[in-house]
This record gives sequence, C-alpha cells and structure tokens, in this order.
Amino acid sequence: MMVFALTLPFEFNEPVWLWVCLLVPLLLVTSRRSLAGLDPVRRYAALLLRSALVIVLACCLAGLQRVQRNDDLTVMFLMDRSHSVQAMQDEQEHFMREASKDLPADDRVGVIDFARHAFLEQQPLKGGYVIPAGRFPIMQGTDRTDVASAMRLAMAMFPHDTAKRMVLLSDGNDNMGNLLEEARRAAADGIPVDIVPLRYRHKNEVYFERVIAPTHAQKGEQIPVRMVVHTDRATSGTLLLYVNGQLLTLPEESTRLSLHAGDNTFVVTIPVLTTGAQTFEAVFRPDDVEQDTIALNNSASAFTFVSGPSRVLLITSNADSDRVLANALESEGVGVELRDVSDLGQFDLLQMVSYTSIILSNVSASNFTDDQQRDLVTYVKDMGSGLIMLGGDESFGAGGWIGSPVAEIMPVSFEIKHKRVIPRGALVIISHSCEIPRGNFWGKEMAKRSVDTISSQDYVGVLAYTYSPGGENWEVPLDLATNKAAVKAKIDRMQIGDMPDFGATMTMALRELTVGRGKDAAQKHVIILSDGDASAPSNSLVQDFVRNKITVSTIAIGWGGHVMQATLRDIAKKTGGKFYAARNPKQLPQIFSKESKVIKRPLIVDAPFQPAVLDAHSELLAGVDGSSLPALGGMVLTSPKDSPNVIIPLIRPTDDGEDPVLAHWQYELGKTVAFTSGQWEVWGGEWTSWSKYAKFWAQVVRWTMRQDLPANFDTYTRIDGDTARIVIDALDKDASYLNNLQLSTRVINPNGVTLPVKFVQTGPGKYEASVPVDQAGQYLANVQIRHNEKYLGTLRTGVTVPFSPEYRDLVPNEAMLRQVSEITNGRWLNEIPEEAGVFKHDLPPSESKRPAWDWALAWLLLPIFLLDVSVRRLASWLAFSIAVEVVVLIVLLFGMDFRYGGWSYFFGAFVVAELVGWSVRFRHIGPFYNYLTHGVTALATTGQRSEASLGQLKSSRNRGKDDRQGEAVQQAPSFETDEPLQLSDGDAQQKFDAKGGGRGKLKGGSLVDSLGGAKKDQDKDSPRGKKGAEDPDNEDATSRLLRAKRRARRDMDEDNK
Amino acid sequence: MMVRKFILTGIISVTMMAFSCDRPALTGNGVVGSFGGVGLASGSFNYPRAISVEKSGAILVVDKAGRIQRFSPDGEFLSSWRMPETSKGKPVGLTVHEDGRIFVADTHYHRILIFNPEGELVGQFGTNGNGDGEFQLPTDVAIDDDGFIYVSEYNGNDRITKWSPSFEFVKSFGESEVLGKRLNRPAALAIDGEGILWVADACNHRIVRFTLDGEVIDTIGHRGRGEDEFRYPYDIDIRDDGTVLICEYGGDRLHWLSATGESKKNWGGSGRELGELSGPWGAAFGVDGRVYVVDSMNSRVQIIRP
Repeated sequence: MMVFALTLPFEFNEPVWLWVCLLVPLLLVTSRRSLAGLDPVRRYAALLLRSALVIVLACCLAGLQRVQRNDDLTVMFLMDRSHSVQAMQDEQEHFMREASKDLPADDRVGVIDFARHAFLEQQPLKGGYVIPAGRFPIMQGTDRTDVASAMRLAMAMFPHDTAKRMVLLSDGNDNMGNLLEEARRAAADGIPVDIVPLRYRHKNEVYFERVIAPTHAQKGEQIPVRMVVHTDRATSGTLLLYVNGQLLTLPEESTRLSLHAGDNTFVVTIPVLTTGAQTFEAVFRPDDVEQDTIALNNSASAFTFVSGPSRVLLITSNADSDRVLANALESEGVGVELRDVSDLGQFDLLQMVSYTSIILSNVSASNFTDDQQRDLVTYVKDMGSGLIMLGGDESFGAGGWIGSPVAEIMPVSFEIKHKRVIPRGALVIISHSCEIPRGNFWGKEMAKRSVDTISSQDYVGVLAYTYSPGGENWEVPLDLATNKAAVKAKIDRMQIGDMPDFGATMTMALRELTVGRGKDAAQKHVIILSDGDASAPSNSLVQDFVRNKITVSTIAIGWGGHVMQATLRDIAKKTGGKFYAARNPKQLPQIFSKESKVIKRPLIVDAPFQPAVLDAHSELLAGVDGSSLPALGGMVLTSPKDSPNVIIPLIRPTDDGEDPVLAHWQYELGKTVAFTSGQWEVWGGEWTSWSKYAKFWAQVVRWTMRQDLPANFDTYTRIDGDTARIVIDALDKDASYLNNLQLSTRVINPNGVTLPVKFVQTGPGKYEASVPVDQAGQYLANVQIRHNEKYLGTLRTGVTVPFSPEYRDLVPNEAMLRQVSEITNGRWLNEIPEEAGVFKHDLPPSESKRPAWDWALAWLLLPIFLLDVSVRRLASWLAFSIAVEVVVLIVLLFGMDFRYGGWSYFFGAFVVAELVGWSVRFRHIGPFYNYLTHGVTALATTGQRSEASLGQLKSSRNRGKDDRQGEAVQQAPSFETDEPLQLSDGDAQQKFDAKGGGRGKLKGGSLVDSLGGAKKDQDKDSPRGKKGAEDPDNEDATSRLLRAKRRARRDMDEDNK
Repeated sequence: MMVRKFILTGIISVTMMAFSCDRPALTGNGVVGSFGGVGLASGSFNYPRAISVEKSGAILVVDKAGRIQRFSPDGEFLSSWRMPETSKGKPVGLTVHEDGRIFVADTHYHRILIFNPEGELVGQFGTNGNGDGEFQLPTDVAIDDDGFIYVSEYNGNDRITKWSPSFEFVKSFGESEVLGKRLNRPAALAIDGEGILWVADACNHRIVRFTLDGEVIDTIGHRGRGEDEFRYPYDIDIRDDGTVLICEYGGDRLHWLSATGESKKNWGGSGRELGELSGPWGAAFGVDGRVYVVDSMNSRVQIIRP
C-alpha cells in the first residue's frame, strides 16, 4: 500500500534534474520581497510551500521511482521427467519434498516438470510443496529432454518481488533446445541455477545403431540391407525385419544372432518387387531381457526409393463409382491404384511420394488427420507432385475442407465470395466448462476450429455461461462469419463458466435460430461442448428443436474421468444430431470437421447443367471440343481464387455469375486441379459414356503428374549426432564430372516442416549438404537438378533417425550440468536434502522499482500548489484552514488510498485532516463561532472589535507610510486592514485578496475582514494602495459602519429589555 | 458570504469524496473479513463450492481440489482432509449433523460420504442409478430432528430422496402438479424449526417448500434480479429464529427471507472487491450473527455481519 511505500527508499531515473533544487534559495530571496505584505505565519508557510513545490517538481523531473526490497525467496524446482531418468522419480520427489519441508514462512515453492515440453506442476506458493505424495504427473513426450524450455517457463513464473533460485534435478542429457543459451539468459537476470545431479549407470544395454539401405534401386533388383547393432556385453537374440510393415520371412541363420561386445554388422539381401518407397524396419530382441535396459532403442529403419513406371493414387469414398475413372485412366496408359478412403492406413509423406499424383474423389476432410492434410500440402508444394480434387456431397466446402491446409493449395476458394443469394447455414456453439485439465482450452480450440471450417456466408454464434454478472450470454452473437479472426479473438477471450443447465442456453439458441438473425438459414445446427454435468433441458424444449428442424450434436469432453454422458447422448438422439465421446484431444479436430459439414449442404447444386468453355487454350482441354461436352448432373459451389495463375477452362454459367467446374494452377513445385462435379453414378452418367472421357482425364492427370526424370547420380546419407550429411556424386553418361550444378533442395522433417538446406560443391562432381536431424522419424529431401538453367531431373533421398537420442544416452552428462551451474553462479547441491540448503537466504534481495513521479505530481505537486495559492490569496484563515483540511483529506483518501483501508482508515483520514485544519484556524475561530451562534450579535461584537482595531489600523498605516521599503508589520492582528470597508460600492474587485484588502459586499460589514484576512500589500507606490489611502469616501464608509454597529447594539439592548 | 461558500464547498467536497469511492463503502456493506485466496496451500482455495458451520462455530469448506478444510469463526485455518477419490469430480454439498458427523454429497461418485469430525470416513450410502436408493449427481443433504436424511440430486433424476437414520431408503419425492414445472437441479436443502423442507430449485430459479413427507407446500420466487426474484439459487441456510438465507449463484448475491418466505433484504453484487461476489455456491449462518458466503470464482469466503 502507498502508506508503506512512503517509508521505503526512492531512486531517481535521471538525477541530474535534482539540480533544479538549487532554485530554492533563489526563490526564497525573491519571494521575500513579493511576500512581504503577508503576516509572518503566512509568509513562512508560503515560503515553505514554494520551496516544497520546487523540490517536488525537481523530483518529478528526475523521474522519481519507488524501490521495494524484499529478501523473501522463491525456489522453482525443475524436475526431469524424461525417459532417461524415469527410474529416479522417487529420488527426485524425495529430495524436493524434504528440501522444502521447513522453509521460511514467506518463501515460495514452485515446481516445473519437463521432458519434451515443460509443464507447471505447482505455481510458486507459500507453504512448500502442496501436491500430495506419490502423485507423479502423466507426462507426454518423454522421448526428449528440453531443459531450456523448463528454465524459460520458470523465469516467466517467478514472482517479481522476491529473490529467485532454480533447482535443476536432471541427468544433464539435454537433447532439445539450447540449454546454455537459456542459462546465460538466467545469469543475465541474476537467477542462479543450483544443480542436483541424477546419477545412474546402465550396465547392460543393446541398441540398434542403424539400418542402411541404398537410397535408390530399380524394380526387381536385389538390394543389401545392412544392420549395425551395439551391445555392451556379448548376448544373443532374434532379428526381425519388416518391409513396408510386413514381416519378412528369413532363413534361421539370418535371424538367430550371437552378438559380441561392441558393434555387430549383418547384411540381408532383399529383392524389391514393387515401385515407390520401401521402408525397412529391423528389430532386435535379446534372449535375456536382463541384458537390455532400454527397449525403445532396439529397432531402426531405412528406406529405398524403387524406380519404375509412375503411378497415380485415386482415393475415393465410393470405389464402385470411381472404378470407371480408374479403368479409363488405365486404358490411356496411366497406372492407377484405387483405394477406399477407409483403407488409408499409415498414409504419410513417404507413402504419398510413391505416387506421382493423387486424386481425392468425393472424400471429406474428416478422413484425414491434421498431419496427413499437412503432408498432402508438402507433397504438392515441396515434392512437386499433383493433387486433383473431384466434387461430390463430401467434397470441397461441403466436405469440411474450408480452412484446411489443402484449401490453400487448390485453385478455387471453397468459400462463396461473390454476392449471390445462396441458402445459408447457421451454427450455434454452446460451450460449457469442462473440469478436466485444460478442458476449457480444448473447448475454445474446437469452437475456433468450427469457425474456421464453416463458410463466411454462414451464421455462427457462441453461447456460454459467464461470470460477473453470472448468466448465459451470447459471447459471439449470431452473425455472418465474415470476420473469422474477430470471432476467434472473442472466443479466445471467453471465460467459460460452470453452466447450471443446458435449458437456458438452448432456449436462447432456439430463439435466435427461429425468430432472430438465423431464422432464414436453410440448415440450423447446434453443437454442445460439455463435460455433461449441467442440468438436462426439458422435454418440451427438445421437442421445439425437433419441430424447428434444428439438430443438436453433443461432444462430451472428459478424457481422464469427469464426464456425464447420459444427458448429452439423450439430447443428440432426440434432435437428430450426433453424440461424440471424445476420449482424447486428438479426436476433436475430426469430430469438428464432421460436425461443420452438417451446415454445408447449401453449397451443393443438385441440378443438371451444361458446362461451358471459358478458356479453350488450357492444356487440359487440348483436343476436346467444347461444344461436345456432355451435361453434368450437379456440382459443388466454389469461387475462383484471385490469382493470375489460376486457369478456369470450364464453368457453369448462371444468371448471377460463373461457377468454376474445372480449374487448375501450379502451386510452388506442384500442380493442383479442381473439378467441382463428379459422383459419376449420380452426376456424371453422360460423362462416363462420353467418347473422350478417358482421353480427357488422362490429359488432366498427366498434366499434374510429377516429372520423375531420374537423375542417375549416386547419393549417400549418413547421420553424425544431430546432423545428417547428404552427398551426391554427379557424373554424366561419359563418366565425367558434372560441375557447377544448380541444386534446389527441400528437406521435410518428420513434423512436415520444410528445412532450409543448401548443397555445396566440395570436389569435382561432389556436392554435400548438412541437415539438422533433432527428431526421430523420416527426413525426406527433394533435389531439383539444373545445369546451365537446363533441367536435368529430380532426385529424392532421405534419412531415418531411428530413435530419439534420449534412448541412446546411457550415462549422465554432468559436464553439461556443471557448465549451467558455472554460467549462472549456481551451486552443486548436496544430494542429502536436509543439507542441500535450498532455501539459504544468500541471494541479494529483490528490488522492484515503480515510477512514483506521477503520484508525486498528482498528490504532492498539485496540492502544494493549491495550498501555496490559498495561503497567499485566501484572506480568511477559516477559508484557508478549510482548504488545507480538504487538501489533506483528498491526499490521504485518494493519494494514499486510505479509502480502501476500512473504516478505521477513513476515520483516521478525517481526524488527521481535522487536526491540521483546526490547528490552522484555532486562533481565529472565536469570531466565526460567534457569527454562527449569535447572528447579529456577532456582527455587533465584530463591529466593536473593528472599532477598537481602527486605531491600530490607522497607526499601522502611518507606520507603513514611514516605511517606504514596504516591510511587513510585525505582530499585527490578522484582521487588521489599512483599507476602509466598502459596504456597497459595487466595486468589481470584490474578492478576498491580499492586494484588494478586506473588501467585501456583506451588508452591515465584511465578516471576512472581521475574522481576519491577509494584509494588504504595504507598497504605498502601488496605484491601488494610493487610491485606498487617499479615497475620501473611506471615511464615510467607516462612519457608516460605526453607525450601523451602534444601531445594532441599540437594537439588541432594546430586544434584551 | 464567502465563508459560507467555503464551508458549503468543504462539506460538499467531503460528502462527494465519501460517495465517490468507486466501490461499496467497506463500512457500509457489513463485510467484516474474508479468507482464502487461490492456492493449494492450507487455508487457500481452488474454487470452493460448499460450506457448513459446526456447533462450535468452526466452518467447513470443500473446494475443487477435493479438500475439506476447517476454519475458526474468524477464518483461521485449523485442519483439513481430502476426499478419498476425486478424479471423476468433486463434491458440491456439505452438511453437519447434530452429533457432529459431516455428510458430504460426493456428487460425481453418486454417493453420500459420512466423516467424523476428525475427518475419518465412517460411512457412506447410495450408488449410481435412477432407481430407489440410487443417485444421479447428489447435490446436498439435510437432516431432520428425527435423524431422517434428505438428499437432493439432478441430471434427469431431479428429486429428493428420504433415508432413515440408518441409511435405508424411505421414499423419493419432487414431482407434483402443484409445482407446474418439475424440479430442475435441486441444488440445496434446509429444514426449518417448523419441520418444513426448503429446496433451492436452482434451474427453475425458485424455492420450493415441502413437508417432510414430500407434499408440496408452495413455491417462492421466480427468475429475475428483483426483490422477490432469484437467479440460480444454489444454497439455503436457516437460522434458529426462522430467517432464511439464500445464495444466488447467477445473481451474485445473498437473499434473506422471513420464515414465511417474504423477501427481507439482499446483499452483494457482481465483482471482485470485498462486498462483491462472483458465482457464489454456498452461504451459511455462523456464530455471533455472522454470515459466511463462499465466493467461488474469487476463491475466498467473505464474512459479513449484515
């Protein structure tokens, strides 16, 4: 509180401004003259106030700031939960619990768990480690150790006003992030990192060093697959080899292995019979499991690209319908593999690149995981392949593809942008708080996701129960989703509360969808996200939904326990919606893709039309006569992307615009085509019987196909630690070196991220590139080779990082820990917790500085200025004392926040203000009291006193005349004035000021004068002073005053009689 | 004249300052203290949801960390214990028996747990289901002078069940034509000196009064924020003199009723300052005329002397 703040030391930002204080003596000298007219008390007060004014002003200019020092300590324990120290969780727990047992009352303890990611287990709290014993966190991503992320989180969580210390419990095997850089950052912030090393030694360990297969092979070739297995001690076991996931049957002598200590190499020769990428995975199982500590490092894999005729993958939701297309393409010599979307299996980038083009025929986005959608994009833009999307009721915008990464690479936008009247959908999301960890986070993420997948021509609204004031609210009012970013920002800001019942929000949704903004929507849908413990809606309300054809889907979010499904299941069943029990967050994106499709039906045109040619010069229409195109039975609405690269050969002409039927473009290295009709059995009967059907589609597919001009160069890959090296030996047909090749490379890491990689020529015909490989999985490289701007071909290669280094580190890395400790001035702690001294107060106290100049400006400078004016200008002591009182009260209540301190502070503020006020007015209260209590009597009394003082007044004036220097009259009564009273002369300057003297227009005499006032400026040279002295009317006024007083006294006497 | 002006100005300034405090004056709203604060340490709360006062005046509070904490009447932490299981959810109801035992509506485990004052589990009854003797999300417990136990529940099973002192099922009630709408999330129960069972029918925003045999006597209030209205009444407590205290979760206020159900006064408002509430789940009369209110979203208990 500010009250305490005043007792704390201050600092200045720019102390040079304090030289302004030197103006104080100067001011004192000059003010002495100008304030000479005041009585001594006022004069000294004014001098004091002016000096204070200058000092405070100097402090403000110098950037006054408050410094709060605190020697309380916050210790953040960073607990390594990675795989390498899984066996040491109890030791860590014991250390932390014991070390923080008897900590000082004001010290705080926070806990962060880390492996691949860092999580806050306990925010810094007083009272030690409060999480019950034996509760170990369920960690994800234990395959990596990222100490840096834990340190970063700890630094963010430290309270600003205590000393800070981190205690790192780890084996030091940091294999992600940049630990030393983070340590330097901690050192810069003055935060020491104390180390408790976790020590272990794996005596027996077998691990797969690597599997090596040639990067390229021809179909039918026999290829050698080399395997290197490392063991600490001699052991025996079984080798299993999988090709593309299928176990390969090998002779027993190849599978039963006896290993000697150290590296053991084996070679198996395998014939490759299919084209595309072949993955080889080798697993070693030791006979004696005691000989092995970490099982996760007993396998490794590699892959080989097998050349052969190019193939196209046709993914369909209706294989019968698309067999026509597949046969047509085969008849034109295009190799096709038809696969049902439900049989996708492990469909990753490596699988994709086995095909030169992929056709998605009426399949919805919900069939693909986020990773697969991302890989499809990489497949096109980085691998230079083709993607064709065919229409249908599950495709384009109607298939939940809006907002997906795939939508980005297609030549048409799945949104309907031009202003045409199409039936709209309306989606209302009801968000209820979910009690599972991060439940509300997922609720919001999913709400945002659904906003992404709907069309901007649809209505969207979000309802939730929120607090302050408690109640159901439209957090996002139902409106067109034109500004999705704004809608998502609102969802992010939502504070989702614990909703008592579903009825209230469902009633609001019903009202808005039937009589509100959404009443015209063709499709109306509600999604409820909840853990299910709100009260169920009434039957009549549910029936209202059914009557109004509003479907309600419910999603029970409650993996890990807390979820009540009955009510949610019931609502969905009765209203025709779907119920989903999400068991983990990964399920949610697909649930939402499915759900948002519900309001996509308006995008489908189910009416026959004749496609028209818009761009006859397109390569895709070569040899096709536009007038001979058969009619189509329907299509999905899209709109062309606003790019000059987009070519739209076919359209559906309508009265209010042209809808793309066929569109294509080149997207980075690859090509994509959108054909918005399809569903041959429903929409394309005439097309399948069209004579040029096969030729047309072969033409379209060939245009998209990746040009696999094999560059016959030898390539080698090798992993050294966290780096993979790719080497290319380039020779031409005559075996002479090819120098100065231009290699443009894209390397995709296992997360689908494109890495910046550059080849450097290191010798004659030799090119090398280094790729950082810090993650387990496949790294794919696509190298386009040019020589003197002539395209020579594309080369694909890659490496597999078998397992995380987490499973390779068999001894602690204490050297790394020591480095961290040294950089941050941390300590190497005793492993006995009681002797570790974790809470030793040997750190400098924390200092928190806050600017105080604005406070001084508002609550010191202004009040002092006002008081300075008051002390000089307010003639009345009473008025001055009230001004002082008010200022003191305001400063105490508002400047020092006494108003928040309870009644005692309020009372205290009043008492202080009153004391100050009364001490100012003490000497002068008598006449005022009389004035209030005796009315006219007081006036008479005052008159007497005025009369009595008149003599003094005159004599003082005479004295003043003698003293031409205008020095102040010492010991003069404060109500004394040298200027006669004017009763009603209408002088415009009727105010109580020092210069004007005690003039007032109080009838019967000036009370203020009688109570006392500032003395007139004694400078007789001033025109007003002269006027006052020489004005003959003044005598009359005095006489009149005296007469009035006598009359008053007479009247009183008569009254008394 | 000028003097009078100054006096007047002074008085007006002081009065304005007194009224210009941008929050309810602490002296005027009866708050005598508060305790808690967010945290997992003893004495702090993670979203407290139910309160009950022991004979001695000590307060019991249960929060979303699944802890039952005991405090002195002034809010000093005394002791605490944990619910045996919490992964499915935490309790929302807490009632102290005449004999000192503590009945906890273990909502998400569909059962009532009974602890002795030391926090040891001494009994339990009820299982999950919709039938007799079964519960769906029980919310609160009330015990009459004869030791019969009344339990409220919801989740499509919105009713009151009556149990013998030895935890045998006696009857269930709650559906009546007199009610108009069937009970919708009865969130709290209390029995007054006349033997009337008061039920906070939360999602119907009203109070329903039953005889102890389950006959509906009348209903009080309806949805709203006015004098005779309620917004999600989540808790009820009744003092010996018959005064009824209602805690409104949605209205962020406390509501006092006479023994006959007339609205007497209300207190609170939405916010984070003392004297304001955010989603309060529970309230109880304490010793010396104090009232405790569980200010859930603010993770604290406010002590007021209205």
